[in-house]
Amino acid sequence: MKISITKRQGYTIAGVLFMLIVWKLLAIHFNSDFIIPHPEKTFVTTIDLFTDSNFVAIIGSTILRGIVGFVLSCILGLGLGIIAGVSANFNAFLRPILVTIRSVPVIALILLALIWLNPNSVPIFIALLTMFPFICTNVIDGINSVDKELVQMATFYRVSRSRIVREVYIPAIMPFIISGASSAMGIGWRAIIIGEVLSQPQYGIGTVMQAAQTYLKVDVVIAWTIVAVVISYVFEKVIRWSEHKIVVWI
Amino acid sequence: MSLQVKGLNKEYEGMLLYSNFDIDFTEGTITCILGPSGCGKTTLLNIIGGTVKPDSGTLVGFDKKVISYIFQEPRLLPWRTVEQNIEFVLGKNIASAEKKKIVRQFIQLVELDGFEKYYPSKLSGGMRQRVSIARSFAYPSDIILMDEALKGLDVKLKQNLIRTFSRIWQADRRTVIFVTHDVDEALMLGNEVIVFSEAPVQVVMRQKVEVPLTNRTIETDYFKALKQDLIKALGS
Repeated sequence: MKISITKRQGYTIAGVLFMLIVWKLLAIHFNSDFIIPHPEKTFVTTIDLFTDSNFVAIIGSTILRGIVGFVLSCILGLGLGIIAGVSANFNAFLRPILVTIRSVPVIALILLALIWLNPNSVPIFIALLTMFPFICTNVIDGINSVDKELVQMATFYRVSRSRIVREVYIPAIMPFIISGASSAMGIGWRAIIIGEVLSQPQYGIGTVMQAAQTYLKVDVVIAWTIVAVVISYVFEKVIRWSEHKIVVWI
Repeated sequence: MSLQVKGLNKEYEGMLLYSNFDIDFTEGTITCILGPSGCGKTTLLNIIGGTVKPDSGTLVGFDKKVISYIFQEPRLLPWRTVEQNIEFVLGKNIASAEKKKIVRQFIQLVELDGFEKYYPSKLSGGMRQRVSIARSFAYPSDIILMDEALKGLDVKLKQNLIRTFSRIWQADRRTVIFVTHDVDEALMLGNEVIVFSEAPVQVVMRQKVEVPLTNRTIETDYFKALKQDLIKALGS
């Protein structure tokens, strides 16, 4: 089988190799697994994680929190975003709330959530608060960007209101929703894992990272980080793939 | 039968566009309205279409008429294909099989066979406007309102579109009211040309064009003389 690599892919591979080389050099320099373990050792540790009897429960719990947080964010973001997109007054009311939520440091939200909620709910709550403003803002921008002339055309041709919503508004805002979902997911995973580190639910990537950090198992911390990056990457790819399937007209 | 606008008064953004204005249109013909920019031609179309309310005045004969539109821009849904864009305006009371038949028929009439599944972004400007023309004829309307529908297109494309439009129009001779500021367009397409003055609008000239649409070449002496008269009326 012949594998061909484009010039650009070559640069991407070079970027990855550069990170590995820097990592290796630092590992050689410090020569301590308690500070920076060697990449190959970390790679073996990462593979070992798969054999952990709790591996599926750990990543399953984190992914489930991500999905639940994402779905709740979509419901809330779409609902409030549509109302704000249609009503300028509600938009004016919602703006400062969104700006405040986006500006508050994630750690402050987590500390408050730790007081208010049980450990299992904290990461979901944090995911919701970090993801929903992205989706909501994008839905509002999407609705505002709808071509008024298309709506006018449909009204002139006496197309029903429900069809105007389904066939003019929704397709027009779809690229904005997908873009918002993509940004939300990117930031959401980080928030969920920080939430798990601090709230210590029974299972979760953050929980095991915190435990590994306590025992100075730096290779395990990095190995779980790699797993978290892969999960985030896979979800990003799924969103991009769905964008290609949904936004086919460009 | 004629369609009438009687005693129309309309002020728009502090400007008096129509003051006790009367006009009538002959059904089954193409009436071209020529006039300077900003005189209120589009407002008249919108009043006829029912999307703008007059300050006062009555429309006679329009009440039960179904209206379709051809805008300056094609106004196609970017996420719908050519055939879906035409089907979009066909109401619920047309059966699905019938819709498909209508869509196919008008795609053929505007010579876009083979492009049914194309999205507007893959079509040229002229092709998009042809979809817009097909949409307006596919819609079961009695009247077609055209607002500067050929503006900004090059001469050759314009002639092609006018030929396409005339050919489809011959089939059922719907009432067309075509607003433009281009004398040549009016001469190529109008059964009658009406010249509007600056606001408040008055009819400066009304001229029937006796040459059948299909045989028109505006290079003949008849059209040259007519063009001169229209330009003079526009300038007055």
